[in-house]
Amino acid sequence: MTMNITAPDSGEIHVLGKPMDRETQNRIGYLPEERGLYRKMKVLDHLYFLAAIKEVNRETARARIEEWLDKMELRPWLNKKVDELSKGMQQKVQFIATIVHDPEVLILDEVFSGLDPINTALVKDYLTAFRAKGKTIVFSTHVLEQAEKLCDEICLMAKSKKILEGNLKELKRTHAEGQIRMSLRASAAEVAALPGVSASHPVNGAYVISLVPGTDRQAFLRTAIERHEVNAFSDREPELEEIYLHAVQKAGLAETRTIE
Amino acid sequence: MNWRKIFAIVRREYTERIRTKAFWIATLIIPFLFVGLFIVQIAIARKSGGERRLAVVDMTGHLYAPLASELTHPASVTASGEEMTGEAAAPPKKQTIHWVVEPRPIVGDLEKTKETLRKEVLAKKISAYLLLDPARLRKDEVEYYSTAVSEWMTQNQLERAINHVRLREKIVAHGLAPEVGNELDKRVDLRAFKVTESGTAEEKGAGIIAAMVFFFLMYSTFFMYGYQVMRGVIEEKSTRIVEIVIASVRPTELMLGKIIGIGLVGLTQYFAWSLIAMNLSLPGIASLLAGSDMAPKIPLSMLGFFILFFLFGYFLYASIYTAIAAPFNTDQEAQQLAMIPMAMIVSGIAVYPAVMNNPSGGLAVFVSLLPFTAPLMMFLRTALGQVPAWQIVLSVVLLAATTVGLAWFAGRVYRVGILMYGKKPTIPEILRWVRYSPGKAVPAPAAREGL
Repeated sequence: MTMNITAPDSGEIHVLGKPMDRETQNRIGYLPEERGLYRKMKVLDHLYFLAAIKEVNRETARARIEEWLDKMELRPWLNKKVDELSKGMQQKVQFIATIVHDPEVLILDEVFSGLDPINTALVKDYLTAFRAKGKTIVFSTHVLEQAEKLCDEICLMAKSKKILEGNLKELKRTHAEGQIRMSLRASAAEVAALPGVSASHPVNGAYVISLVPGTDRQAFLRTAIERHEVNAFSDREPELEEIYLHAVQKAGLAETRTIE
Repeated sequence: MNWRKIFAIVRREYTERIRTKAFWIATLIIPFLFVGLFIVQIAIARKSGGERRLAVVDMTGHLYAPLASELTHPASVTASGEEMTGEAAAPPKKQTIHWVVEPRPIVGDLEKTKETLRKEVLAKKISAYLLLDPARLRKDEVEYYSTAVSEWMTQNQLERAINHVRLREKIVAHGLAPEVGNELDKRVDLRAFKVTESGTAEEKGAGIIAAMVFFFLMYSTFFMYGYQVMRGVIEEKSTRIVEIVIASVRPTELMLGKIIGIGLVGLTQYFAWSLIAMNLSLPGIASLLAGSDMAPKIPLSMLGFFILFFLFGYFLYASIYTAIAAPFNTDQEAQQLAMIPMAMIVSGIAVYPAVMNNPSGGLAVFVSLLPFTAPLMMFLRTALGQVPAWQIVLSVVLLAATTVGLAWFAGRVYRVGILMYGKKPTIPEILRWVRYSPGKAVPAPAAREGL
């Protein structure tokens, strides 16, 4: 809608503090989930073209393209046709195309799809750098872990309805359910036998423990230390996925979609 | 309307197409193909000169001698005729057939003779044989046997010679002098002059050939490049690039850029062709045509009309093709509707003989005013003869109005269509898109700007 691809049923769109217009459109970088590049075009020409339709003049475009070709390690492929590149490389080209006009707002839909871990890390680093520069990144993904690692603000959506919205840290705090993560030398039965434990299950050599409401955590920890050898003890923050599943259940919906 | 963005689109469409091998192959091969065809034709025509050994079975007993001399010395038959001797002195024409004629008696019965001759033809001892049968001649028929019965020139010459001989025989039979035969055989040459408003009478002929070339050029462009526009639109859709482009450019701008870019590719091709044609034709064709007054002289007005009607026509058909392509995801789906503009273009070719025959007849006037056929037909009419000024003006006005209207329509269908994926839309759905206008997403939507 922001990108003028679909029209709103009602209301107005404000981006960067004013109604959306053509000038604002040039300040947005959009990377759709469905990749789109002219297959027969050479990488370099393609980048110049996409810069030109964002009204970037050729000199500026050249400087930025040169810079990003190096950053994205695409230089050896710049005269290859898009068709000849692997999916991951196409994705990197697409990524450069999204930022070649130095947008203030980035709208990224599943930006990491098709990228190997090395390139994922590469893109992630640059996104973090953009955030540090004060750019707004709207990041849409199905992979909640990515959202968790990258985002400040979260908006969870299911069946095209917003079900949860807010600052990630606050969301985690409000959704924390008094769970404890504890690493200790004890069998599952011994853990369950500790006073105040309502539920426990082993995760990666540690236990995630839920306490009976009202239990004094300090007292609980003391008891645990007396009985067993405790290596680590921490409050456990819920994962975004858990928050999401919980929210979906509460809303009576079941589908997945997240937006920062 | 942001011309900077449109220009970027135009440039992409243009350079990407110019770079393809297909473009260069078409640009370089087609003129050579034409010239090659031309040369081959002339070569064949020349080769059709040369020796022809003809056996004649004369059952009338009196036709052979005059026929043989008519074929071997076309002028000397009636040496008394002054004009004939004069013509004989003239240099022989290029494609002269050198006739070697021999009489054949009937050996045994007719069938046996024919069989022997048949074998001789097959063995290439003779090229053909002729059967002069009185019974057939009464019905004005003569039998000719050869392996190649499509040698138009050979047969034509032979036919003329026989007619000549018979004509003279009849004249003598009526008690007239043989010279009368030559007089009777003379034909007039109709020399056509074109009457124009400026009063001057210029000879046409070469002009018509130029008009035909332009006519077919325009015709094939509407076809080829209109179709390319359609393919381009569908390709953008199926590769999903359109989503990225639309994030920066209005649909109308994308459409305009595309149509202009592809149109420029077509113009470039013409330009290249005419350059090649000039270079090839000056030394090549010109020398072959030397002496004949075929060298085309293209009047400036024809060029002007060509450009005018070409631009409108191309834009008209490109718009139609765009509207057809936008709602679909594959070429196959669009193919059915693509028949509509195709039929419109072809209908021009269908009525073209009628327009040629009577450039100011009712049908000609109608098709030159109807916007879909006007680009081709009005151009043809202006090239063939004087067309009343009001008809030209009316035709251009109607054409321009239709073009703008269709471009607007195409723009609306395109705007919605290019982002519609999935199921094939129905015609009523497409019409709904045209009526639909976007919300407040963009302060000045493309539709309000029109073109």
